[in-house]
Amino acid sequence: MTDITLEVNGTEKSLAVEPRRLLADVLRHEFGLSGVHIGCAHGACGCCTVHIDGVPKLSCLTFAVQCEGKAIATVESVGGPNAEHALQQAFKSEHGLQCGYCTPGFVMALIPFVEAMTSQRRMPEDDEIREAMSGNICRCTGYHGIVAAVRKAIGDQIAGGSNRS
Amino acid sequence: MTRAENPRHIGARVLRFEDVRLLSGAARYLDDITRPNMLHMSMVRAQVAHATILGIDSSALADAGFPTQVFTADDLGSLSIKAHQDYPQMQYSEQPILASGKMRFVGEPVAAVLADDPYKAEDASELVFVDYDPLPVVGTMDQARDASLPTLFDGWKSNVIVEREMKGGDLDKARAEAAHIIRRTYSTQRQAGVPMEGRGVVAEYNPADRVLTVWSSTQFPHIVRTCLSEVLNWPESRLRVIAPDVGGGFGVKGQVYPEEILVPWLAVKTGRPVKWVEDRREHLMASIHARDHRHVLEAYVSAEGRLLGLKADVTVDNGAYSTYPFTSAGEPGMVGKVLPGPYDFQAYHAVYRAVATNKCSIGTYRGVARPSAVFSQERLMDDIAEELGLDPIEFRLKNIIREFPYKNVLGFSYDKGSYAESLEKMRELLAADRTEAEASKVSTTRRVGVGIACFIEQTAHGTPDFIRRRVPIETGYIAARVEMEPDGQAIVDLGMQNHGQGLETTMAQVAADALGIDPKDVFVRHGDTLMTPYSVGTWGSRGAALGGGAVHTAATQLADKLRAIAAHLLQAKAEDIVLGGGKASLKADAGRFVEIRKLARIALRNADQMPEGMTPGLEASFSQDGPADGTYSNAVHAAVVEIDVPTGKMKLRRFVVVEDCGVVLNPMIADGQVRGGVVQGIGSAMLEHFVYDAECQPLTTSFADYLMPQAPEIPNIEVHHIVTPTSLTPLGAKGMGEGGAIGPAAAIANAVADALDVQVTSTPLNGNAVWRLSAALRGE
Repeated sequence: MTDITLEVNGTEKSLAVEPRRLLADVLRHEFGLSGVHIGCAHGACGCCTVHIDGVPKLSCLTFAVQCEGKAIATVESVGGPNAEHALQQAFKSEHGLQCGYCTPGFVMALIPFVEAMTSQRRMPEDDEIREAMSGNICRCTGYHGIVAAVRKAIGDQIAGGSNRS
Repeated sequence: MTRAENPRHIGARVLRFEDVRLLSGAARYLDDITRPNMLHMSMVRAQVAHATILGIDSSALADAGFPTQVFTADDLGSLSIKAHQDYPQMQYSEQPILASGKMRFVGEPVAAVLADDPYKAEDASELVFVDYDPLPVVGTMDQARDASLPTLFDGWKSNVIVEREMKGGDLDKARAEAAHIIRRTYSTQRQAGVPMEGRGVVAEYNPADRVLTVWSSTQFPHIVRTCLSEVLNWPESRLRVIAPDVGGGFGVKGQVYPEEILVPWLAVKTGRPVKWVEDRREHLMASIHARDHRHVLEAYVSAEGRLLGLKADVTVDNGAYSTYPFTSAGEPGMVGKVLPGPYDFQAYHAVYRAVATNKCSIGTYRGVARPSAVFSQERLMDDIAEELGLDPIEFRLKNIIREFPYKNVLGFSYDKGSYAESLEKMRELLAADRTEAEASKVSTTRRVGVGIACFIEQTAHGTPDFIRRRVPIETGYIAARVEMEPDGQAIVDLGMQNHGQGLETTMAQVAADALGIDPKDVFVRHGDTLMTPYSVGTWGSRGAALGGGAVHTAATQLADKLRAIAAHLLQAKAEDIVLGGGKASLKADAGRFVEIRKLARIALRNADQMPEGMTPGLEASFSQDGPADGTYSNAVHAAVVEIDVPTGKMKLRRFVVVEDCGVVLNPMIADGQVRGGVVQGIGSAMLEHFVYDAECQPLTTSFADYLMPQAPEIPNIEVHHIVTPTSLTPLGAKGMGEGGAIGPAAAIANAVADALDVQVTSTPLNGNAVWRLSAALRGE
């Protein structure tokens, strides 16, 4: 067992973990964060995407012990219990989700892209949006609604001038 | 049948009520279920495709350093899943819960290991040694018909599991009258539904009330309960099956699997809750596979280009076991049934069979055999048009069914559709693409192709359809119970399971229209046999048509009671009362009304104010069976592809759908279902393929090898609706959940054939295939 300290969704916690434990499992079971989903456990589907020090990473390809001292954010921290982040709201209004299993991973993977486009005040082409989600697999939506959600979130934020709806 | 009066919510783009929990991380999928003192199961799985088990040695577990328990077939006795159809032409087999005597495919469960931590359980399962004697492998359809190879099951005469026929009309006459006979062989590869959440099971036995509770990531909790009851000989009344949030199903989770029997059995045996969560490798190896068809078709066509008759020989590579409750006969039988399609001809003969091989078993996946059948049917239509020198759309229009109801060659009755209109609409939408494709024919480096697929889908078929098939599912109805609480809020307990279809929203829309309240005041509950009425679950494109019908009918019964109470209070006639906007008002004088929540309170709390003789309470139930032959949705799909001949690289530029599923409950959700289905169909057409080597070792057991459609290669999907309501379901809705997945393989293959001027006879049309097909244009 190895002692580590993680800052998860703004709260620091120390715990002892086996070195082999995946960050995804530790977030799910030690921190009770059920929004972290495991879709393949081999880094190919993006369901388990979380932010480590603000950067989207696959928590199934990361050991918890590698995250000593790092700040981790999961979908639970993004828009609160009512999913109020502009991108979450756009997923809802544009039907960017069906079963919802891949959704937290898409949200976490796409937030930095939405923020970057918003700060540049630029509406990306569909090809760029699709490229930005190329590390994530959705089996339900055919991606159409997710592309629309990204456009809407960027458009709304450019119009509203805020990062949160 | 009654239609919704003055629909306010049906047909509206209501945003989904289920989204907030899914977006915020609050949803609870199977792996989020934990119970105190829970054990974790890891499976020991077959590593060879065909072998006799000589022994299972688990002695190394004593040195694991932590407590473990191991179970094999010897511990289970004769527990097995029986998925048989009572046909004389079907050979009997059972699937043991753990491999017994023989292993029949790589990934088959052989032993179960329990430990108090999932990592430890997996460690321990690697310490179990299975000793075996290899047997010759039956690896292909042709090997399955090779008498020199062993049969998969003792006592079988051959590896042909089932062979039957369907026919109608005079095929000899059609052949004799034909000016053209076109014979082709088409095949579609093995692939699967692959939901993003795999399967998983948790079970817990409570000795206090003797209830065995089973959580399973399933599409049909009641069917799991019935199968469990039969296999474990356990009363259904003391079995509770819960499907929590389910991360996609697509038919894959519409079978009962060995683990769904084994985990509850272990919970009872050990006296502790037990959990198993499938990993992706297990899913790709050993959950069901789908498709894997070969169709030999022979069409008889008149000199004028009229289709006179069709002969078909259909083979499905079923893999090892017959799956419950649709069986090995389901997949090939569906091809035989649906090949006549939307075309008017009256001579047909299909022979269809499923053969056993040492591969993962075939089961249901969105469309169930229809993607393969439509691939063959629609490739054949293009091949005939090509041979006769006719435009493919004109050739279809010449043969399309235009008069309804239409009795097809097998006696199935098609209700009214928009077959010709859909083709004509698509012809308009494609005009510019077709011109561009024609112009590109002069190029040997860059070709554009346009292909269409025209098809119908029998949906929401009722009990008679399953009786005809003598299949263990036996029936096809959906039930709903609607109740109103004293505060005027409504609850719908629905016998379906919502795993992405938006039923918590659409069913609330339906109930709200009948009850005159807002959809947000309707709580739709589902997926738990304790609180929902018995139903077959969510599959077979029956949610809107039958689920919606059940909710509408039950809610209308409740509304009648509300109207009667309101009439009593307003001293009016019940038929003069209209419900809407939370009020029961006089039709003739909207100013005279009673609030619906007041009526609810009277019915449940102040019964003294009810009309004399009326019983208290506000609850109604209805079980909605489907029409005997189902109701037929129709669609035309079109693909526009661009192929770079020097590299063989194909880009799917445009995909268009014109579809008719009758009345649409929620256009946002309907479009989402179509688009999601289409992209799965694009995966079938271009990417996804389970590959086995000659020893039947699976070569595609990760997402690095099994290629799922990802956003960059997928275009936006254009969807156009034509609405032909059916009179066969209460709301005029036809089924639409599967249709999206049915057409793409055919449309894309026809586009490739058009672009390259070649015959396309198989899928997937991946990079290698398109490279080979474009060889002639490169002068190779």
